[in-house]
Amino acid sequence: MRGWDGLVSSALLGTERRPPQFAELPPSIQEQLGEDPGLLDAAALATLYHRAGRLPLQGIAPLPVAEGEDRPLPRPNAIRRLTAMLGGFQTAALGEWLRIATEKGWGIPPEHLPALADYARGRSEYRRLVVEAAGRRAGWLADLNPEWRFLHQAVNDDPQVWTHGNALQRRSWFRRLRQRDPGTALDALREVWPTEPAAARTEFLSELTAQLSKADEEFLEAALDDRSKEVRRAAAKLLARVEGSQYSERMAERVASFVTEERGLLTVTLPPRITKAMERDGIDPQPHPGLGRRAWWLRQLIAAAPLPPPRLLDLPVEGVGFEVLQTAWAEAAVRERNVDWARALLTSNASTDNRTAELLRLLPDEEWPAVIEQLRKTIDLGDLVGGLPVPWPAPLGVLVLDQLRKAGTARSFARLASTAARAVPVGVLTHPLVREPPGEEDTWRSRLIETLNFRREMYEELS
Amino acid sequence: MGAWDTEQVLALAPDPAAAKAGQAQARVAKWSDAGRSEHALWGYCQGSGKKPYQTMVDLSGPAFRCSCPSRKFPCKHALGLMLLGAAGELTATGEPDWVDAWLTERAGRAERAAERAERKPGEVADPLAAQQRASRRADRVSAGMAELQSWLDDQVRRGLSGFEQRGYGELSRLAARMVDAQAPGVAGAVRRAAGVVGRGHDWPGELLEELSLIHLTVSAHNRLAELPPSLADTVQTRIGWTVETARVRAEGEKVEDDWLVLGRVVEPDERLTVRRLWLRGATTGRLALILDFAAAGRRLEPLPAWPGEYVPAVLSFYPGALPLRALLDQTAPRMPAPKPHGLTARQALAAYVESLAADPWNERWPLVLQGVRPARYGEGWALVDESGDALEILPFVDPWKLLAVSAGEPVTVAGEWNRAGFRPMTCWDSDRAVIVA
Repeated sequence: MRGWDGLVSSALLGTERRPPQFAELPPSIQEQLGEDPGLLDAAALATLYHRAGRLPLQGIAPLPVAEGEDRPLPRPNAIRRLTAMLGGFQTAALGEWLRIATEKGWGIPPEHLPALADYARGRSEYRRLVVEAAGRRAGWLADLNPEWRFLHQAVNDDPQVWTHGNALQRRSWFRRLRQRDPGTALDALREVWPTEPAAARTEFLSELTAQLSKADEEFLEAALDDRSKEVRRAAAKLLARVEGSQYSERMAERVASFVTEERGLLTVTLPPRITKAMERDGIDPQPHPGLGRRAWWLRQLIAAAPLPPPRLLDLPVEGVGFEVLQTAWAEAAVRERNVDWARALLTSNASTDNRTAELLRLLPDEEWPAVIEQLRKTIDLGDLVGGLPVPWPAPLGVLVLDQLRKAGTARSFARLASTAARAVPVGVLTHPLVREPPGEEDTWRSRLIETLNFRREMYEELS
Repeated sequence: MGAWDTEQVLALAPDPAAAKAGQAQARVAKWSDAGRSEHALWGYCQGSGKKPYQTMVDLSGPAFRCSCPSRKFPCKHALGLMLLGAAGELTATGEPDWVDAWLTERAGRAERAAERAERKPGEVADPLAAQQRASRRADRVSAGMAELQSWLDDQVRRGLSGFEQRGYGELSRLAARMVDAQAPGVAGAVRRAAGVVGRGHDWPGELLEELSLIHLTVSAHNRLAELPPSLADTVQTRIGWTVETARVRAEGEKVEDDWLVLGRVVEPDERLTVRRLWLRGATTGRLALILDFAAAGRRLEPLPAWPGEYVPAVLSFYPGALPLRALLDQTAPRMPAPKPHGLTARQALAAYVESLAADPWNERWPLVLQGVRPARYGEGWALVDESGDALEILPFVDPWKLLAVSAGEPVTVAGEWNRAGFRPMTCWDSDRAVIVA
């Protein structure tokens, strides 16, 4: 506004030194000034003139519109439950809410997306759920807020992403292509391989786990000579999983020279040293805590070699502790996803070096209850079921809740109860346990019942 | 009254440690100028600091006051003093001035509370006394305004340069003087002016704006009798006169309507949480503001209805040239409301300008913008209407809920406008009202 700066500089220097000049002000202000006006009279008029004269901003381009459709919103009580979870009540059920809503075709109220995105930012297991829940807004929000870049995940199949996208976008593009067309994905990786930094090479290599086959062998063999140790290790791990690979043959030959079966007896000779060829195949020469050096080498070799028939588990062993072989076989069984070995190891009380839960996961889930019944004589039930994927099959849910129902109030059941509260499937949420009111001091039991009821209501609202 | 024995005194202690500490203070040597009357005990107790603590006990409560920093109540000094009294070691004399002043203040407070409890709303206990009080206050305010005017004139004559160093302190002191003059509204304006000093490169211009509006208040006060009554009420409110709620209910303008809750803004402060609830009448189109206050950490009254709902109610408006603030008496249960109609950016600003014409000090105005789309604007955000006109969103506002709801499509948004920008409160996702702030 004309004349305003003159008023400000008069005010700064003082009207004694610099008398205010009103002639510069807009005429409509001058008209309002009475006789002998003061600086502050003029300033008040000018301030209001200025404030009242404010015009809208111009030439600002609105954001693009997020492309796509919106799914319908669930009923208001379901939305209220979501709000409560985001506010900190039963927050652990958030993932389940999102999963059911997505399955049932419900959208989520968009105003909750910022909170969900912030929540999933630090918890990668939630990211995919939030991406799906965000629908057409996922990529749109990710473009606006760099902290939510992960929302780009699984959105874009454009090959441009592979050459020009950011690390997250590229990884998710590659993952999707690998699922759909493993060969083309491998070709895409071959093309960029020499120019990628070691960390990216390791990351992309880990994506090859999906759809891994003999077709990848040549590429992985070459990666065994990579200049990065991480890449070499990752390649060896993958090769060990390729059935009938040269790598498996090399490992099988090595094992055959150290372990022999004769007249129902396993005779073991420990490897005298680690050869360069073994190291190239990913065998770690460094000592391992709690195990002799040579026994450790042998264990690694067996774990990377194709599994023998499971009947070997019943044979007596000479030359090394039985548990060295058992833990190596357990590792191999997990790698090969060998159901027969998993069953054999679990039902023979073999030493599996904390791989019980992984082996259990290999069994068809209808076998879980019986095996668990047997194992829990020696292993804590909480440890056994803690690593199983959720939701559990119904019979396992019933088995565990039956146990908890009989368990009294002992504190030692608190952890199992908190696992079960989240893991029992929808059909088991009405187990008789929820109809028996807990005692006042019975904290884990009341929490279990509260969570089961909360989940049951959640399913009803989203049905 | 006055006869407290040792056992009774010890029972007043908030915990055993305080009782023990109190006994340690009950030694004549620790006290100076200690004494007792029929109503009270008092004395100076030498603590660890240089200045002795001033302790007094009103025996009628008992009530305690002590200048020590202890958070225990009563503190060990008050307990010690009472134990000395119980042991008969205090001399009976007349109350010194500082004790007398406190006792009088307490008695006055108790009386006023009793009066308030008996009085019907709106009724003045003693009309003559009330008139005298009012005229005493008017005198003090006038004196304060005169002082303020001459301070302002001095500053302008001598110049504001150097304010960056001395301005904040001077303005803070001036604000305190205005509180003494019983003009808390003006005191607030002066404090706001203090906040501008030295902030940003254009602070002298902003300070001049603030000071000129304070000057406008003072000039208006000098001409109060010439002003139209409603504008005079506005000026009085700016100075800090409050209208009792009972009077607003009895005499204020009444408007009955289904009031759409446009949104709410909650401003937590160290001491006081303020909630502004903005309403718009479905039939009358009148805008209204319901203010609620709560001490920090306390809960506010529940909302009469959620943003986006109607609350059928009679509003009683406070007097003023721009009647906006009101009291609400709900007449029927809240009910759902459709998406409200709104304005373009240009129309919305024009409405704000009209409000300024009525009340030049008006700082906040509720706007409902229709068909606006979010846009980036510098480091922040703006809302663009269909004709391309845009309003800036205030820089401290978290925009993400609004952005997520809009997804780039045009939405209706209700918010608060002030001269620095727009603060969204509620937006509509088709017909569903969503609180975005």
